[in-house]
Amino acid sequence: MATHAPTHAHTDHGHGHHAPPKPLWYWWKRAIVWTISGALAGIALVFFFRWAFGFSNLWEPESYYTAIASLAGIGFVIGIGCFDWWWAYLRGKHVDFEDHSLHGAKTWRDYLRPNTDHKVIGIQYMVAVFTFFVVGGLLAELVRLELAQPGFQIADGETYNGYFSAHATVMIFGFVIPSFAGLANYVLPVMIGAKDMAFPRLNALSFWLLLPAGAMLAIAPFVGAFSAGWTAYPPLAVQGTTGQTLFEVAVQFAGASSIATALNFLVTIMTMRAPGMTVWRMPLLVWANATTSGLVVFGTPFIAGSQFMTLFDRVVGTNFFNAANGGDVIMYQHVFWFYSHPAVYIMMLPGFGIISEVLSTFSRKPIFGYRALAFSTVAIALLGFGVWAHHMFVSGMASWLRIPMMITTIIIAVPTGVKIFSWLGTIWNGKIHLKTPMIWALGFIFTFVIGGLSGVFLGTLTTDIALTDTYFVVAHIHYVFFGGSVFTIFAGTYYWFPKMTGRMYSETLGKWHFWLTFIGFNGTFFPQHWLGAHGMPRRVADYDERFADLNLIISLFSLFMVAGTLVFFYNMIWSWRSGPKAPWNPWRGRSLEWLVSSPPSLFNFDAVPQVVGGPYQYGIPGARHAVVYAGDHLGGGELTETELRTVLVVANRTVASSSLLDQVKARAEEGYWRFTIVVPAKGDDHRAADRRLQVALAVLAEAGIDASGTVEDLGPLEAVKRILEEEPAHEVMLATLPTGQSEWMQQDMIDRVRKASGIAVTRVIVRGDDARTAVRSAAVQRIAVIANDTLGDAGLVSALQARADERPLAAVVLCPLSLDGPGWTDDADKVRDEATGRTRAVIQRLQDSGIQAHGEVIDGDPVAAAKIARSDYKVDTVLVCSYRRDSSEELLGQVRAAAGDTAVEHVVVDAEAPAAPSGA
Amino acid sequence: MAAEHTATVSSHGDVAAPGRGAGISQGMLAMILFIGSEAMLFASFFTAYFMVRYNIAENDWPPIKDLATGERFEPPVLGTGVNTAFLVFSSFTVWYAEHRLKHGDRKGLERGLIVTMLLGATFLAVQINEYVHLGFTPQDQAYGAAFYTLTGFHGLHVFVGLTLLWICYLRIKRAHDFTPQWATPLGAASLYWHFVDVVWVFLYVVVYLI
Ligand code: HEM
Ligand SMILES: [Cu+2]
Repeated sequence: MATHAPTHAHTDHGHGHHAPPKPLWYWWKRAIVWTISGALAGIALVFFFRWAFGFSNLWEPESYYTAIASLAGIGFVIGIGCFDWWWAYLRGKHVDFEDHSLHGAKTWRDYLRPNTDHKVIGIQYMVAVFTFFVVGGLLAELVRLELAQPGFQIADGETYNGYFSAHATVMIFGFVIPSFAGLANYVLPVMIGAKDMAFPRLNALSFWLLLPAGAMLAIAPFVGAFSAGWTAYPPLAVQGTTGQTLFEVAVQFAGASSIATALNFLVTIMTMRAPGMTVWRMPLLVWANATTSGLVVFGTPFIAGSQFMTLFDRVVGTNFFNAANGGDVIMYQHVFWFYSHPAVYIMMLPGFGIISEVLSTFSRKPIFGYRALAFSTVAIALLGFGVWAHHMFVSGMASWLRIPMMITTIIIAVPTGVKIFSWLGTIWNGKIHLKTPMIWALGFIFTFVIGGLSGVFLGTLTTDIALTDTYFVVAHIHYVFFGGSVFTIFAGTYYWFPKMTGRMYSETLGKWHFWLTFIGFNGTFFPQHWLGAHGMPRRVADYDERFADLNLIISLFSLFMVAGTLVFFYNMIWSWRSGPKAPWNPWRGRSLEWLVSSPPSLFNFDAVPQVVGGPYQYGIPGARHAVVYAGDHLGGGELTETELRTVLVVANRTVASSSLLDQVKARAEEGYWRFTIVVPAKGDDHRAADRRLQVALAVLAEAGIDASGTVEDLGPLEAVKRILEEEPAHEVMLATLPTGQSEWMQQDMIDRVRKASGIAVTRVIVRGDDARTAVRSAAVQRIAVIANDTLGDAGLVSALQARADERPLAAVVLCPLSLDGPGWTDDADKVRDEATGRTRAVIQRLQDSGIQAHGEVIDGDPVAAAKIARSDYKVDTVLVCSYRRDSSEELLGQVRAAAGDTAVEHVVVDAEAPAAPSGA
Repeated sequence: MAAEHTATVSSHGDVAAPGRGAGISQGMLAMILFIGSEAMLFASFFTAYFMVRYNIAENDWPPIKDLATGERFEPPVLGTGVNTAFLVFSSFTVWYAEHRLKHGDRKGLERGLIVTMLLGATFLAVQINEYVHLGFTPQDQAYGAAFYTLTGFHGLHVFVGLTLLWICYLRIKRAHDFTPQWATPLGAASLYWHFVDVVWVFLYVVVYLI
């Protein structure tokens, strides 16, 4: 088997004996050939069997479709190359157990072929599952379109059933379950200090098995959608069409994929933890995934079994569920829910893990009740196997089962409650940083509690009899799946986005995404409690007139979520391509994935790290989670205790100055240092402070230096104390203006910080103009603003602020002044003075809002200014501003010509309205 | 790099893969978990079987096949009993093969594997023969469905087990794999074989005997 030796240090993997990498089409050509061959083999096989067994009806279509789908799917994974290594092995060839020829990605092409690197697989998963998310989302909008009014709008009953069935199935098997596999694939091995998963080739197979499953589910609606819901109860499922066949085969593929991943996680967690990582030092995400994997390994075979039986009833003509021939329909529900109740925890526990990570990091506090959280995860999983029949209270099952199942169901709320209280305890009195992942996590707690409460109504037999199969259940499902699982997926995606892509996402857009989704979500699903309680049945295309208004409102609210999703995708794609570079540890996290670069190197660690403490010890003086070793490029393989090698940089207005940043770079050269920058902005504009900080962080990230930072509403002394409580530092670097101008120096800050912290304080003197001038760095976009009359307009400043929030920038303000007459008259002087005044004022405003800016008045027209911007200031972008009434296409054309290959954009400022960038 | 690489890695199967925190190799661990998963698959079919038998048929079992004659389904207890003995015996032979390897007796290992595979193949052949002469089909009532699904899935697992053993055999012949110190794939294959065997004993008792 593919065994990885964790003690084995890789810095570089230039295996001379590997053949050069194969081009992309090699894999895909094979995949196509094998898929088609698989389909043909399926036809041949069924034909042969039907003929050999003397069936009168040789062409029974469903049996052919079953075989075609199964064998084409298997053909695909063989063809794409998942079995190449094993094929060599089983022919008795000499194979390399540590064959890394398919490991790692250099270009995007390496993401489109089988890859054994867990990080590549993690990203492959995330891209695939978000694609399925879009498919599922579109289907959901079709459902809402149909339900916007009573009667039949876009579909008849059967088609409508197809929509919601496909929606649920794609979301559950194509999105939620595999997205947790994807996130954990990326971060879990790093979190436990391993260089990969235990079985990298099996890992690749898991991913590629998912694609046929997704493809079958996506094709299903076109060949007669399955309409029995994601639960696929017989007898309806047995009567269904070809889509139902594809559903049944797809579930087997998705199930096989899950089981393979789960085995892999379990073995990885059990055998590949870094030395020192005892089970009580594992991050809670690891606990969550270990437990979930247990559920998958022991639960998923039951859904496989249930689908095999339905398939046999449909295709082979057996009588499992045919009461006339001694079959038992209710048996299906028992077998199905014995998996599918645990499955709801398969879709929730990893999310719980993510939330624990995020809450603790952004509250800067140790997680409250670590062991309680770990034990409750296990307890939920174990209890989860004993509650399945709460889905069947009215099914006609043995009635003695009802009360016990009700009791176990209610008991399960206890460990869930333990979690909620532990999380609240974690954020209680914490120093909360409302970054996007944190907002999603807080939103999750809110919505999930509502979902848990509606669960108690459903779990109580007496109320469930009234509420079952109504929209109340739909509300419940969505509060726990969407408000629960999906919120955690978003939290995790934002949280690890910097680690996975090496880029920062846009906070502003992240927050837009959250609020649009949050409002849309509650607007869509909260009213459904009411609908259900008043008797609107689920899974029916038409409904009573009295529900009409509310349903229309619901459908409209669902559009908010569509908008939010668009923002999300824009943010992800844009940031991935051109977002600011991410530091190693943007959130000042403690667990191992934050102690390596973003993204981690090919085998994650230069050498196996040593774990020395728990992962969440924020604010505990001297506490450390792990020790990592520095690579040769960072001053040699000697032991470095990362968190003691932290330099705490304290600076406010001076934080983005070149004097300070050069000093930081010089220190970084000396060895394995990391930097925490704190901006004590008590009484100052926090947005402005944050913009400056972002410039500094971007410059350092660009230079490959591990730095993270935070703005604190404290004075310098308190800020230093506060940060040192959270993480010990080796020294403090204090940047101030020259003595005469510096308030901090007047307050004798150097000495006071030294006394308070007990560690060395280095002072960096920054001249005033240095603090105001932009650093030259690829990370900082340089923008020339060419404007005259509009300079005084607030619209211009806010347009620049919005840009600065997107990515760090520095501005050069150029005020072109072409005087018609002679330049020495009093009039001309006056005009020039006014222009200078306007320029100065706008520069001051920009500086005040945290944007480094300077500028000048230019004798000449905008074209001349554009030339200067390009040749003297070497800017990346030229912004031409004008009032709407003045804008002239002709002038713009000339400016474009003068600017050469520098991008030119036009900002129209309406005298009344705020500025809006215009593409036209 | 390449030299460092081979130093820690079992490309010739002579160095155990180091695992941390567990006194068991990763391959064996994975096989144990996989077997757990497989056991649950059988559990789902046994659930179906028991529900049909005790819930619907109320233990009037085996059910009546033909209402006209009152004839009941009848699994061939005796023939299959002999077949069961073959399979049980093959568990011992595979154990013997592994045991020989521990003593460095590669010939004994090969012989043990061949005998095991022959027994397994015999079991499958007898089982197929049984299907042909059984006198009822999967379509005959829920009984037929449960019977064929259970025995059929088990047969499939025997086939998979045979394939695993066959691969081990090929590795021994062609790649001179496995040493007394390191034989994880062999160990995993034989564990799987024991599992298949245990399932069958349970199945035989439940479906054929009681
Ligand atoms: C306190 C915790 C919970 C309780 C007491 C609870 C209880 C229930 C009950 C009794 C039902 C059946 C309703 C009916 O069909 O009449 C149900 C349905 C459902 N629950 Fe929960 N639940 C809880 C948490 C969760 C969680 C965490 C998830 C998933 C993340 C979840 C997902 C679902 C789903 C998907 C259904 C609908 C299944 C269908 O399509 O019929 N529940 N819940
Ligand atoms: Cu449930």
